[in-house]
Amino acid sequence: MTMRKHMLGWAVVAAMALPMAAGAQPIPLGHLMDLSGGTSDVGTPFAQGVNDTFAWVNKTRNGVAGRSVNVLAHDYGYQAPRAVSQYQAWSRDRVVGIMGWGTADTEALVRFVTRDRIPYVSGSYSAALTDAAGKSGRQGVEATPYNFFYGPSYSDALRAMLQWAADDWKAKGKPGRPKYVHMGANHPYPNSPKAAGEALAQELGFDVLSPVTFALTPGDYTAQCLTLKNQGANYAYLGNTAGSNISVLRACQTAGVDVQFLGNVWGMDENAMKAAGTAADGVVFPVRTAAVWGAQAPGMANVQAISRISDAAGTAYRPVHYVAGICSAMLMVEAMETAAANGGQVTGERIRDGFYARKDWIPKGFEGVCVPSTFTANDHRGQLNVTLYRSRVAGDTSQGSVKDLVAAGTIKLEPVTTVALPRKAEWLGW
Amino acid sequence: MPSLAPAGDYRSSYREDMTIFLTRNSRIGLLIGIVLVACAPLALGRYELGLLINIGFLGIAALGLNILVGFTGQISIGHAAFFGFGAFMSAWLHERWHIPVVFCIPLAGIATALIGLVFGAPAARLKGLYLAIATLAAQFILEDFFARAQWFTGGVAGRITEPFELFGWRADREESYLYVVLAAVIVMYAFAANLMRTRDGRALVAVRDHYLSAEVMGVNLAYYRTLSFGIASFYAGVGGALYAHYLLFVSVEAFNILFSIQFLGMVIIGGLGSIMGSLMGAAFMVLLPEVVQVGADALAGGAIDRALKLGSSISFLREMAVGLAIILFLIFEPNGIVHRWQLIKAYWKLYPYSH
Repeated sequence: MTMRKHMLGWAVVAAMALPMAAGAQPIPLGHLMDLSGGTSDVGTPFAQGVNDTFAWVNKTRNGVAGRSVNVLAHDYGYQAPRAVSQYQAWSRDRVVGIMGWGTADTEALVRFVTRDRIPYVSGSYSAALTDAAGKSGRQGVEATPYNFFYGPSYSDALRAMLQWAADDWKAKGKPGRPKYVHMGANHPYPNSPKAAGEALAQELGFDVLSPVTFALTPGDYTAQCLTLKNQGANYAYLGNTAGSNISVLRACQTAGVDVQFLGNVWGMDENAMKAAGTAADGVVFPVRTAAVWGAQAPGMANVQAISRISDAAGTAYRPVHYVAGICSAMLMVEAMETAAANGGQVTGERIRDGFYARKDWIPKGFEGVCVPSTFTANDHRGQLNVTLYRSRVAGDTSQGSVKDLVAAGTIKLEPVTTVALPRKAEWLGW
Repeated sequence: MPSLAPAGDYRSSYREDMTIFLTRNSRIGLLIGIVLVACAPLALGRYELGLLINIGFLGIAALGLNILVGFTGQISIGHAAFFGFGAFMSAWLHERWHIPVVFCIPLAGIATALIGLVFGAPAARLKGLYLAIATLAAQFILEDFFARAQWFTGGVAGRITEPFELFGWRADREESYLYVVLAAVIVMYAFAANLMRTRDGRALVAVRDHYLSAEVMGVNLAYYRTLSFGIASFYAGVGGALYAHYLLFVSVEAFNILFSIQFLGMVIIGGLGSIMGSLMGAAFMVLLPEVVQVGADALAGGAIDRALKLGSSISFLREMAVGLAIILFLIFEPNGIVHRWQLIKAYWKLYPYSH
């Protein structure tokens, strides 16, 4: 009996000593996820991508500079106040960086992360987060030296889609001025690109209709579709995430509305295409990875390895947001590695400088998957090339999994064009 | 309800009849409690202090609701909206007029009281379910106002505000803000305890116990019902203002109807018509999710998790536990935690001859 007690005691001691023997404290990193709130439809695959990536980095690369990354993940239900209180709770854990999510919470936390010097990679691509030095002089836009994101800003993505729409209108040879309408909830996230989009639409010769509001949650949006029909809208921007956009697409299909929908980057994915069925056919939206699941690319092997972290069988189909989650997390990983290089400390400031260390930055091993980003101390618009895809749904999607439907070609992501936007100073922070 | 007062009524003066503390020990106990909380920063981490602060400002707002529901017998399912109004008001006063936060907090309370009087006006004539629906209107009207009044709330994006500051002492950490909240709790609770000893306080209780009798005795029903709403809103406003300067960010999302229901939950679980019960209810509501979280974390990845295939649904346990707690309390302890606490005290006081 005593023998067993002794052994147990030694085992405990050994278990406690092991991490110390490795000589490295884990690096604490915060991760705000939305698994249960208004944007959980796309928040879940994104968060899974982020978590799997860090687990993969810990497993195969021995963490960052020999220290494992301790990801403190928290589901905040897309409620900014909860995110702020979680942020304050994390300050006791001395997190060196945060993988964040929504626009409302990221913008609310800007002052805090700037004060505490904590690099913050958000799932929000709000243009207000790009004015790193606060030099744009726009009202209400603050300096965001610690905010980064992987992808074109919402405003830039919308600008690219509007340019495509203007060309599309000409190509189709339709008469008169096209009509553009912004649709979304009254929430910081759908509101973010509203002014920028409407201004450019005006410039490009669109008639801008008054915006149409629909909630972030699924519901009956027939009234909104009838508004579109009555006003004769030609191009409609869907500012919400996939779940509620599906409701709009289906309602508009039923109401027989003939509108070219332009989706936000979070507004469409393979899951949404399956759920919406043929109603989702033809939606144009930006994709911020060079390859989607199942495509051939040099970096795809690593993406599949990461996917197997949470899907050992390797059979799951991963939507575009999962892959974007990987690329976002890899930016953080490599910035941390740069901070740790040459025996450096992994501190917030050094990680931030790590984001500036590379030009046309593609995380190593993810070539052909992640798109190059460039951050500078004044300008956090990492990407200005916007790749547009069109969703193609050929038939009934109610049977079979997303994987089967993609394999059968019922669901297809069809590349449309890539729009290269100029790095205009007056578009910074807007 | 077992009383801690000695058997028989030995009070021989009005002064004794008016006492807040029935026994000397309860006074000492309260002082020890305050000293313990004041010493908490020495022993507790920032997270635990954050929980204490939460209990503090929620307890203040819950006390307001208890005065309305527990003492006056009215109902309100718009308490979170008043809480939010206080939060926005304090942030706005500071941002727009540069009033020091220390004055913003009581001013926000007064402004919320005025709003409460407006929305409480129907209470002069309505009661029961009809009043509940009238206060529901306050909830939705105010929530919509928060989302649209850009100048006041910063719109849907919310408003960032500054920490509490007094003579250069900045309470921007849990360690320091705890004292601000503690002071507010003492002041507000002392005020409520004294209010209940006054003519007005007794009038409120009379309205609750039997409004017709109260009216026959000369209590102005309309006046006291509306007053109760004003007081409840004042407490909600102060609680909200304390919340604003703790979180340093106020957003409309926080003040939804669910939060209003949660306030009702605090009051019911704590004990209707009890001053201390409000604080106990707030403490219960704050700590329960933490306890469940610990349980859920322990469960995650374990045998039960695998057997039931809980996976990510485990995070919903937290929400379910709160609902379950309210149901269990209604069944087994309808008088609230404070009643259970009195039973425990009485047991030890009378030990071993408890019968």
